Amino acid sequence: MNWTPAALSQDIPSGSAAPGQLGDKDIVIWRSASGRIAAWSDRCPHRGMRLSHGFVRGEFLSCIYHGWRYGDGGQCHRIPAHPELTPPDAIKVPVFAVTESDGVVWVAQKDAEPEAPPPGLAGFSPLRTLRLSARPETVAAAFGGTGLDLRGELGGCAVVVLIQPLPDDQCNLHALAANGADTATLDRVSAALEALRRQAETAEEIAA
Amino acid sequence: MNGEAMRDQWYPVGIAAQLTPAGRDSLLLGEAIRIACDSDGAALVTDGAGRALPVITRFGHVWTTLGQPERDLFTIPEADQPGRRLVDVGTVLVRCSPLRAVENFLDIAHFPFVHTDILGSEPHTEVQRYEVEIRDDVDEVWATKVSFYQPQAAKSAQGGINAEYMYRVPAPTCSVLYKTCPARPEEWDVITLFVQPLTETTCQVWPWMALFDEDSSMTDMIHFQQMIFVQDRSILENQIPALLPLDPGMEIPTRADMTSIAYRRWLKRHGYTYGAQLVAA
Repeated sequence: MNWTPAALSQDIPSGSAAPGQLGDKDIVIWRSASGRIAAWSDRCPHRGMRLSHGFVRGEFLSCIYHGWRYGDGGQCHRIPAHPELTPPDAIKVPVFAVTESDGVVWVAQKDAEPEAPPPGLAGFSPLRTLRLSARPETVAAAFGGTGLDLRGELGGCAVVVLIQPLPDDQCNLHALAANGADTATLDRVSAALEALRRQAETAEEIAA
Repeated sequence: MNGEAMRDQWYPVGIAAQLTPAGRDSLLLGEAIRIACDSDGAALVTDGAGRALPVITRFGHVWTTLGQPERDLFTIPEADQPGRRLVDVGTVLVRCSPLRAVENFLDIAHFPFVHTDILGSEPHTEVQRYEVEIRDDVDEVWATKVSFYQPQAAKSAQGGINAEYMYRVPAPTCSVLYKTCPARPEEWDVITLFVQPLTETTCQVWPWMALFDEDSSMTDMIHFQQMIFVQDRSILENQIPALLPLDPGMEIPTRADMTSIAYRRWLKRHGYTYGAQLVAA
């Protein structure tokens, strides 16, 4: 398995958590106050609440339901209803492998961490993520490429479009544009991405 | 149907004072029902085939059943005390298991995080030991001697108090809370959660209250309770799985969850499993 692009780094600022996906698994992607990124199962083992609704304090992510606090490796460190209790080691959130490079957050199954690093994206800066109701191959065809790592031009600017396949014939596009592009250019790229989305979704509807 | 035993129970399906002759469609345990009233204002509930279903009007709500209940709908004698104000809070549609909605109502440990600065606040997060029992004579789950520090326990509360709670589960989708009454410390306020199971993963929640509070307006009391419940909804619609797991292993309870543990055990014992998840052994 390869690394899967799951978010743009800029969309997960320090001290925040957001929902993400790896295949059919719901994950929470969060960043500690000191800037460490993590990807965990999006479910508190106590009562099943989504951890992506939780809150970050320092180096810990807490569940919004009962405030159970989790740290490095998904280990539970504190149960506020029982402040004196040291939570047993067994109370742990399953974690995913995660790495960050060139402004993209990449995730993988923990027991299948890819040996090769994610593809290099030197010369490009993260722009935005879009969700589509279309299959990856439909999107690639609409872009005029193949595979999940599309490179070419959109709106008169060199771009990289990373496709993240999702269940139910959906996908995310994580788009990057050439370094130094001005605001007007980035606006055109953004509009072209939306046009790409419409084109792919229309093609998908016709195929159906 | 999952949870056949739950057919023979009474369920809330509307506010008695808000019935119309034209009626409205709803669901009960996945089956179509229609709630209306006759020209005298008496409640009429019919099933999908137009057959009249049994009706009880109590606690300001209309109750019906698809089965043959062995018992009358439970009573709340305290609510009959003179001087109480009876509050039809209204209804909230929640995309969650009806059983999860009740379990959340029985939980106090979430107050500081979900009802922040109202029903709880950090650092007052500790849940003291309380008592829980399944009362075999009445076949109800009871939790007593529950206490929790609350910044604003009710609309009528002036500042923080240590609120005392008693919880009662008289039916699989209903709970009655007896709570310290800020206006009359010698009495208990009565706050209920009546849940209408639409499907296994959607429900209509009908909170109802019988309070001693001479000062707050009806609107303010309703708004207070609706605010609380809308905060709960943000939790209830984001629990995984949507069904309430009745077998151990899927979730990890602690001592603060004793009421929930007893509730789940009681549901399982009776086969009240509509809205529950049972894992094959």
